[in-house]
Formats: sequence, C-alpha cells, structure tokens
Amino acid sequence: MTKTTAAPPARTSHAARPSTARPRRRPGVEGIYYAFLLPSLIIFTLAITLPALIGIFFSFTNSIGFGEWEFVGLINYIAMFSDPAIVQSYLFTFGFATCTVIVVNIIAFLLAVGLTAKIKVKTGLRTIFVIPMVVSGIIIAYVFNFLFSNSLPTFGQAVGSETLSSSILANPDLAWIAIVIVTAWQAVPGTLLIYIAGLLAIPGDVYEAADLDGAGKWQQLLRITVPLVAGYIFINVILGFKNFLNAYDVIVGLTDGGPGTATRSIPMTIVTGFTGGDYAYQMANATMFFIIVVVISLIQLRLTRGRNAR
Amino acid sequence: MPRSPRRAPRALAASLGLLLTASALAGCAGSGGPETVRFHLSKPEAIPYFNELISEYNASQDGVEVVLDSSSNLQAGFLRGNPPDLGLLNYNMEMARFMERGALSDLSDMPEAERILPEVQELVDQYATYPGRTSVLPYSVMAASVIYNKEIFEAQGLEVPQTYEELIAVCDALTTAGITPFYGTFQDPWTVAQGFFDYTVGGDVDVAGFYDELDSLGTEVGPESEVSFEKTLAEPVGTMQELIEKYTNSDAPSKTYGDGNLAFARGEAAMYLQGPWAFGEIAKTSPDLDLGTFPLPMTDDPEDLRVRVNIDLAAWIPEASGSKEGAREFLSFLFQQDVMDEYNAAQLGYGTTVDAAPVTDPRILGMKEYYDTADFYQGPSQAIPQTIPAANYLQGVALGGDVESALSTLDGDWARLALRQ
Repeated sequence: MTKTTAAPPARTSHAARPSTARPRRRPGVEGIYYAFLLPSLIIFTLAITLPALIGIFFSFTNSIGFGEWEFVGLINYIAMFSDPAIVQSYLFTFGFATCTVIVVNIIAFLLAVGLTAKIKVKTGLRTIFVIPMVVSGIIIAYVFNFLFSNSLPTFGQAVGSETLSSSILANPDLAWIAIVIVTAWQAVPGTLLIYIAGLLAIPGDVYEAADLDGAGKWQQLLRITVPLVAGYIFINVILGFKNFLNAYDVIVGLTDGGPGTATRSIPMTIVTGFTGGDYAYQMANATMFFIIVVVISLIQLRLTRGRNAR
Repeated sequence: MPRSPRRAPRALAASLGLLLTASALAGCAGSGGPETVRFHLSKPEAIPYFNELISEYNASQDGVEVVLDSSSNLQAGFLRGNPPDLGLLNYNMEMARFMERGALSDLSDMPEAERILPEVQELVDQYATYPGRTSVLPYSVMAASVIYNKEIFEAQGLEVPQTYEELIAVCDALTTAGITPFYGTFQDPWTVAQGFFDYTVGGDVDVAGFYDELDSLGTEVGPESEVSFEKTLAEPVGTMQELIEKYTNSDAPSKTYGDGNLAFARGEAAMYLQGPWAFGEIAKTSPDLDLGTFPLPMTDDPEDLRVRVNIDLAAWIPEASGSKEGAREFLSFLFQQDVMDEYNAAQLGYGTTVDAAPVTDPRILGMKEYYDTADFYQGPSQAIPQTIPAANYLQGVALGGDVESALSTLDGDWARLALRQ
C-alpha cells in the first residue's frame, strides 16, 4: 500500500545523484544530464552560495556595507542576544509561523476534502479558491488594511463590540491575528492544490472496501483519508512553516511592524541592516536565522522520512 | 504550489543578471558619443521639473549627456564602486555614512559652495563630517511645523499660540467648541516620529547638542549617564503623550497619513503635525482651504520657538564617479539662482543660498522669520539610525505605552549600536 501513496514530489534537489544502480548507462548520455544541471549550478553558486558565504564572513566584522571595516569577533552575535528588538522579532515570527501553519493546513485540508467530493460546480469553485494565490502579497495586504481599519470598525460599532470598534491593527494584542488571517488567505490556495493532488491519488477501491466493511463517512475520513495523505500534510507543514518564517510583505502592508514593535518579523529586522547601514550586525542575525531554519528543516525532514517508511 | 523559498531568489538573480548584461551593453553603445553623466534623483515630485532641465541642458551643449537615474539602489552602487556621477536627493543619516567614509568628493573649490548659507551648511555637518572637505551642497530645505486651519482659528477667535500655556488654552477652547485640536494618524509610525515627537522634542531640547553628547558617550549611554533619551527626553515625550491623549481624534490609532490628509482637508481638525509635503495632498481635496503654519510652542518663552527643517535635496559627486568634470558642470547649471528659485517656489522649499528669493507662499510664510534667523533644528527622529526601530517605539508611546520604558529601550539600542560599530 505504501507504494500507492505516491511519494511527495518535493525533493527536487540540485544534487540529483546519478543513480549507481544502473552502471550500463553510456557516458555520453550522462554528460547530457550534467549539462542540464550546470547552468543552474553556476547561477546558484554565484547568486546564492557565494554571497551567503561572503555575508557570513562579514557578520564577524563591523562593516556597514562598504568602506573600511575590521574584525570584531563575536560581538555582533553577543549584541544580538541582548537586543530586545531582535528577541521580540524571533518570538513573534515563530509564534506567528506556528499559528499560521495550523490555520492554513486545517482550512486547506477541509476545503480539499470538500472540493474532491462529488459536488456540483467543482471546477468553478476550485478556480475561485485559487484566485488569492495570483494576487501579490503587498496588494492583498493594503486591501485588507483598508478592511481592518475602516470596514471592520464600522461593523464593530454597529454590533456594539468594544474590541472591534477600533482597528485591530492598532491593538498590540490583536494585530498579529490580522496578519495570520491575511497570510492564511493568501497561502491556503497553494496548500489546497497539494491536498487536492494528494486526495485524487487515493484509489477509489479503498473507500469501496471501507464501505463494505461498514465504515461511516467520518471514520473513512479519519482512518483512510488522513493516513493516506499524511505525506502531503508533512510537505505542506514544512513548506508552509518555512514560507511563514520569511513573512515580510504582508506585514509591511498591514502594520509595518507595529503597533510599537509587536509584529516585527525577523526578515523585517534583517532588511533594516541594509537600509539602515547596520550590515554586519544584521548579517549575524541572518546567519543565525539561516542556521535555525536549516535545523528545523532537517528535523522535519527526518520526521517525514520516518513517516513515509511506514 | 508554494515554491521552495530558495528557488525564487535564484530565478530573480538569473533575470537580474540578464538585465544587467543588457544595460551594460546599452551603456557600451553610447560610449562613443559625449561623456555620460548619470544623475541620481529619486524624489518623485521633482522628476518632471528636472527632466525638463536635463533636456534643456543636453540640447545646449555637446560635451556631456546627462541621464536621469531615479531607481537604482544607491547602497549597492557605492558597494560595487559604481555610484551615480551626481546625486541630488534627501540628505539624512544614511547618506551621511557615505560621506563620513570619504565616498563623496570635495566641492569646496566650486563657486556654488561659497553661496550656501553657513547655517544651512552647518545642518549637513550635524550628521557627519569628513576632514577638509565640503562634499555636500544643500539645494532645498523643507521647513515643517504645525499646519493650522486658519478658517477654524478665525471662526473661534483664536490667535496663533506663542507659549505652551497659550497652546493649551487654544486646545481647550477648540475642545469646548467640539472641534478636534490635532488630527493624529498613528497607524503610520513615521507620522508620530516626524510630527509629534520631532516637534515636542525640538521645541524643548537643543537637538544637535543632545546628539553630540550621545555620540561622545557611545556605549556609556544608559541609566547612569548624564545625558540619555530617558533623562533628557522624558519631559518633552511625556508632554507629547499628554497632548495626544487629550487633544487628538479618538480614532487616531487606526488612521493613516492618507486618512489624515483627507480629514484635515475636510476641516475635521484645527491642527495637523505634518510637513509641507502634505499641502499638495490636502489641496487635492480642498484646493482653496486657507492654511498656515506655526512652530509648536513648548516653553513659556516665545524666544524659544523653533521650526523643524530637513535638507530635502542636496547635491554631491562621488569620488568613484568616472565623469566628475561633467557632473560639476551640470551641478553648476542646476545651482543657477533662477533654477533653484523656481524649484523651491514650486515645491514649497526654502532657499539654501545667500541670494535665494524669499518664500512667498502664505502656507509656509509663518515659518519665514524663524528660518531667516536660523531658529531651526533637524528632526531628532532623523538622527537615530534606521536600524533602531524608533518610530515603532514612539508609536507605542502614542498609543499609551510607557514613556520611560520606550526611552530606556532607545538608550539600550543606542549603546548596543555604539558597541558594534
């Protein structure tokens, strides 16, 4: 059965090992494969790997991005840990990413189950649900900004709600909810598509068998559907989590990190390093952030492997 | 499907590379003709005016071809050793960093440097200096203070306040009449920083002196130091919070700059803490609204009144420029008196030279006497490096947060920055 769950299509890694299992491939053919990889590899090295290494190097200096600089050792890293603005941004970003991942996956999964069931106007509905994916984040954010600051308070005043009658974007305790809502609105479609693909890959006969055994719809969902798309759930959680850690445009459009510093994300603090001439320091921050994301990804990947092997 | 985060930058980099190659090729194509001067100007409102000047200049001679560059990233340009040949833009802390490290060439031998008002040139030096050089020539200064609705003031029989007491009296009278004294737009953190914070602090504290002290204290700034945000600014920032609490619209926390311009244009408040850039926006709704400006009084002495200024445009020529001579010639062209005067009149700016025409627009006339006697300061929020989220802290204060803790956070950030740079 594990074979039919169609292994998740995620690992399109650049390393794509030339399989050792088939030694009879002629070298000429293999050369073509390398030729396919080479352009990407060169660009990846020049545009990503090399700058990243240079960035890490500069995180041990006091450079402001140009001009003279000198080595300062670990000072940037030490200063970082005592910087309330940075600590705050880590707390916010991880809390926000966790929350959004849960919200997005629950909504997308339920929608996917609905949209793969035998219902009318399925195609039309699918199209509608995917629309948010095509709109740019910053535009979505500005539209929602208007809704949150004007429409929602009007509604709140009409129903006499104290909390809702002023903009939740101006409320330090609630502003993050607005960001979760907008991010989820934008991220659900992508997640939804992966779930639909996963659900369509489940053969119909397992449900028939379940029906014969007398399993109800609810039991079928929990006992058959969920385990069979488990791989997709993991993929969505990993990809989603990584994307949400990089939250930037939606926040800039909604709160710009405010009220106060309540919703400043890690990428937002890193960007100030370039615009504000704090290059080396924010490079240290970026390095730290990178390491954390890599570690989390590795842990999640391990968990996924364990899951798929079952 | 959400793309893996590392692939998007890769695609971007690839297309960027193509673009760069294309532009490099385009650059080669032109190299046979006259010397090219890349002129960096990013202020959107100024572009049409300078575009006209550029075509006029290019038509008038064959030696130099000026090309407008309004979009390239300055920091990256300096980093790659490929900055524009001539810059004319807002002068602030971030630009000062380039100058401080010697990236801008000396212009002190140019006749234009002689014409700059010494007190305006001094504004440049407040951010940073480079020994033996005059590398930045101010072109236009924006003066900002309280914008007030003259019609409301007249209808209520109110005079422009000269002391803090009179200000409170005016606010109380307006409140009694059911008029909002100040229109606040606190959803945009910068409006708190450049408006309420700058005006209250600038009206009370010697801004340049304060930052000089902070700079020399460096890592020592904190609860123990003689001068600090927490000690020196506690009073004005406390006043700021009081004014906000008592005299702004109740929905200010959820209003943005755009909302503010609209509401003020409709006469929904009597005073508005914004710079002259807001006049154009207000005029879109109410072109004939009778507006004036006055410095926010923070003390009992009218002698203390000061207006906030910023160097809206300043010219500089990078050391790394390949066409310094061409850039200098074009700079001289731009610094002709009538060219400067026309720009300043259109953009509500104040002239920076000894021979500049006096301002005449009634909306900014209220600040003339202070500008003429150099009773001005550069916004204290502008002297805090952008890496410190000061505007966000101040937004927190405007929304009722603790003044002391916000200011001590600023102290901590300042000391940490001094430690690592």
